[in-house]
Amino acid sequence: MSAVTRIAREEWRLWLRSKVVIAAALIIAVLLAATSFLTIDRIASEQSQRLEQQVAAEQTFFAQPDRHPHRMVHYGHYAFRPPPPLAMFEPGVDAVTGQSIFLEGHRQNTAMFADTKAAADLGGFAALTPASLYQLLLPLLLIVLGHAMFLRERESGTLAVMLAQGQSGVTLAMGKAAALLGVIVIFMLPLIGVAAFSVSAGESVLAAFALAGGYFLYLCVWGAIVLAASVILKQRAVSLGVLIFAWLFAALIVPRFAINTSSAAIDAPGKIESDLVMLAEQRKLGDGHNAADPAFQQLQAQVLEQYEVETIEELPINWRGVVASYSEAELTDLLNSYTEERMGLEASQSRMFDLFGIASPTIAISSASRTLAGTDLATHHRFLREAETLRFDFVQALNQAHAEQLDYTIDINRSNDAASSQRARINAASWQVLDEFRFEPDRADERLSRSGLTLGILLGWLFFAGGVAGFAARRVKI
Amino acid sequence: MTSPLEARSLSLVREGNAVLDGVSFAVQQGEIFALLGGNGAGKSSTLLTFLGFLEPSGGEVLVNGASVSSDVAAARNAIAYLPEAASLYGHMNAYENLDYFLDLAGKSAGRSEIDAALERVALPPEARTRRLHSYSKGMRQKTAIALALLRETPILLLDEPTSGLDPVAIDEFHDLVKALATGGQTILMVTHDVYGACQVADRVGLIRDGKLVGSFAAEDGERIDTETVHAAFAGRGVA
Amino acid sequence: MAKSLSREIRFLSKDKGAVFWLALAFTLSVIAVSFGVSEVREQRETIATLLEEDALDRASALEGHEEWGSAAYYAFHFTYAPPSDFAFASMGQRDTAPWKHRVRMLALEGQIHEADTRNANFGLVGRFDFAFLAASVAPLLLILLLYDLRASERTARRHDLLVATAGASSRLWLPRAIVRVGALATLLLAPLWVASAIEGTGAGMSLQASAIVIGSLLVWWLIVELVSRINATPSVLLTSLIGLWLALAIVVPALSKFAIEAANPVPDGGEILLLQRETVNDAWDLPKEATMEPFVAEHPEYAAHAVIEETWAWNWYYAFQQVGDQAAAPLVQQYRDARVERDRQARLAAFISPTSFVERSFEKLAGTDALSMIAYEDAVRNFHEELRAFHYPLMFPEAPYDEALLEDLPAYTPPS
Repeated sequence: MSAVTRIAREEWRLWLRSKVVIAAALIIAVLLAATSFLTIDRIASEQSQRLEQQVAAEQTFFAQPDRHPHRMVHYGHYAFRPPPPLAMFEPGVDAVTGQSIFLEGHRQNTAMFADTKAAADLGGFAALTPASLYQLLLPLLLIVLGHAMFLRERESGTLAVMLAQGQSGVTLAMGKAAALLGVIVIFMLPLIGVAAFSVSAGESVLAAFALAGGYFLYLCVWGAIVLAASVILKQRAVSLGVLIFAWLFAALIVPRFAINTSSAAIDAPGKIESDLVMLAEQRKLGDGHNAADPAFQQLQAQVLEQYEVETIEELPINWRGVVASYSEAELTDLLNSYTEERMGLEASQSRMFDLFGIASPTIAISSASRTLAGTDLATHHRFLREAETLRFDFVQALNQAHAEQLDYTIDINRSNDAASSQRARINAASWQVLDEFRFEPDRADERLSRSGLTLGILLGWLFFAGGVAGFAARRVKI
Repeated sequence: MTSPLEARSLSLVREGNAVLDGVSFAVQQGEIFALLGGNGAGKSSTLLTFLGFLEPSGGEVLVNGASVSSDVAAARNAIAYLPEAASLYGHMNAYENLDYFLDLAGKSAGRSEIDAALERVALPPEARTRRLHSYSKGMRQKTAIALALLRETPILLLDEPTSGLDPVAIDEFHDLVKALATGGQTILMVTHDVYGACQVADRVGLIRDGKLVGSFAAEDGERIDTETVHAAFAGRGVA
Repeated sequence: MAKSLSREIRFLSKDKGAVFWLALAFTLSVIAVSFGVSEVREQRETIATLLEEDALDRASALEGHEEWGSAAYYAFHFTYAPPSDFAFASMGQRDTAPWKHRVRMLALEGQIHEADTRNANFGLVGRFDFAFLAASVAPLLLILLLYDLRASERTARRHDLLVATAGASSRLWLPRAIVRVGALATLLLAPLWVASAIEGTGAGMSLQASAIVIGSLLVWWLIVELVSRINATPSVLLTSLIGLWLALAIVVPALSKFAIEAANPVPDGGEILLLQRETVNDAWDLPKEATMEPFVAEHPEYAAHAVIEETWAWNWYYAFQQVGDQAAAPLVQQYRDARVERDRQARLAAFISPTSFVERSFEKLAGTDALSMIAYEDAVRNFHEELRAFHYPLMFPEAPYDEALLEDLPAYTPPS
């Protein structure tokens, strides 16, 4: 074992004497530190801001005066998605999706005002996050450090001496691997720091640990690739060229290619497109504002029978509220079926994207990273679903109040004059039906199981690249 | 009459170290001059100053009477250079390499001329269409010499031309060099091989610590006496 | 020179490494351009389909009304920004900013910020389009083609022989580099030219795009040239060049973006919405004059009909929708100004990053830059304005409903 540590120590000595290596490592360390601080600061302030906005939205809703209940349906409410603690490392899709959504009757709005819409446009990579540094830059550092690691011994002739002394290529490779592992462990420290900080901010230890583990796996994959190249290839310029190509391919080309492919292969219609299809159907359902619509005749017959009365005026409840409630439920079913279909298509696009991880470990880690941090598309979809539930619940609660607390006759005569309008109101205490909404990230074990595929792919990469390196080292000749 | 190659009080300082210190010599047309010296004596640096790769810190070098620093291109044009362990392109065969380098020198040669040159350096015909990857060191050296022949320059600079060659190849090479000199080419070679220098050169200059410390000339058709030069090289005897 | 070039072309064709990088450039360009062309076609088809369905939907929505107000309430109008004939080369902001909205005569601020964008992952990772290839990948390929031009010959101990043979180094390195840069530019651009021909892109546009690509390659060539004069091993040179690429392609844009955004805060979009909603909702409980006064201030021509007697009237309803927009207008203007200012500063910052410069220039040519997206929003605003201008005279005072007049409903024309 001492031979391995000996070799590793020599490698380190060499690195520490190289200005290029020191400069590269320092630059990356500074970038990492700066990005981490900026991102932590931004996410922390967004987190508190979103929470404040959520509370403020609820208080404003509760503070509304006595009104016609349907007015409150249109007055609406907001749902905010505060970034989860680990977003300080991996902000994920948050910047693209928008983080607030307006909730009102009869409509499902989209999340609005994504950061990217007003962003200064400086091209493809402009946003740097700690996660993207780990995904893009650290592999490059490993390449710069390690591309000549093994073949240098061949070039200088020391390989022949070592082999002649009875050491095996595997021992030498293990020594080099140990040296590279040392670098990986050191550069894991900032991530571990951020992860620990996120735990103190309320993140589960399991998720933070899994995230750090995923990145450790990812960096080890690159370490193994670098080692394999330096064992197999004989010239350092060739080795560096091949590794740079691998990086270019894995980090820049495949992810975007995967986006093109998954969007071309699975056509997810836009909201306007599915809305138009839906509107045609919706017209068949009738308009919730117009209780005389023929589509409600059947409902009317049913309700009259239930209360054993002849006319809607005789009903003990407000017919208009019943209609509003009925049509809201019908419409929501319809809206949800389209939304679910669209989200389903988007989810299968994402699955397809994830599968490209087989061609690029960078895709695998970026997906796993978003999932574990709780900033992936699935979490955004859950936010949309929960916001929709919140919307439906408060709208229906208001419709129920409409049916039960407001007299039908007063209601239909509300536009006669100012006084009738004044009468057609219910007590503001009814606004308390609004549920408190605090969006929480998925449970850590759920996130972990969702990232199972991509973490598995990463593990596969490690076995593959490590296996190739080991195999090549075993067969190494002078 | 101007000498094709001349060094006048040539001094060279590289990274603070005096590599050459007041070296003067001239090589006449048709002469083979060997600069003999140990590792780091400044032999190769002398060649590189004639090619304009190194700028003299003092004195000057002249090619055909003209200072190299004033017209590097003219100097290079007059000189064919055979670097130590000459490596042409491994991914091309002998013909492709020669075509390429001749073109680079602004010359062209037909297949028959190239074949004639390769014949002269005794590169076997079946090897000529193989890539240089597969060549032995001697075969690569031969191809590079063929290039020097084809360039038909009046001057030839050879840097340790026989290092790594087997004795038969060395003899072949020496015969070729002598034939070239007889044909009127001026040849400056640097070497640490006492025996080879004495066998092939008309004159041997001994260089040590950047200074020309001795000179031995062949007389009356006799070769230079190896023992004398060897003794001088080793620091014994008088220069 | 021509002789040197043809020599170096023959030489290049035998260099497997270089041929590999060049073939890769060509393949990537073909891929980028074909994806781009198919995406643009898909977007055009989507627009055509939506136009058709939108017309059908509006026709049915306009049936059976008795008042202008309810007709306007139910009639949505499809607006869109069609992809330009060069958009295939650069999707730019079209992947993150909406390029289609359906609007109606209600308060516009509640509608125009809807985001009908694609899968969020797309905006996050970005698309592999020609602009990305030319801006980010091509410089890397150029670096890989040029970095060891001299250094590899040095390592192979061929350098001195080559230079001594060539006489002057300009007869050797310059033609070698020209051939490589030229081959890279040609192979990158050829698919673009073919696609431009297919898509009917104007020759001027293709020429400008080619000039941008060639110009950026020349800049990177200069960088490589300067760096590779350092007498260092090929791997040190490559490491330094990759480092420079990282700095110019990733770090500088990220820092500029951060600085620009910090220096030019945009109003929280949510505030715009909130203000508009509050104004619209409050109007229900306020005296009618509270709505009609600011409305008349904007539209003095309807002052004579601005007294609303009824507890509820369509023209009052639309008036407070407009007042909602009016209330939010200063914030909206701030939001727009900040975006324009951020874009202006980003344009300046792009001069220190060739990568950003190329991407931005392509977006500008393709009409997919931030300003084009803002221009689309402006077009939507103008159209919404036209809708109001069409309806207001029919509502102040209420004119008898005449379905035939709806033939003259304003039609949206996309910004050119």
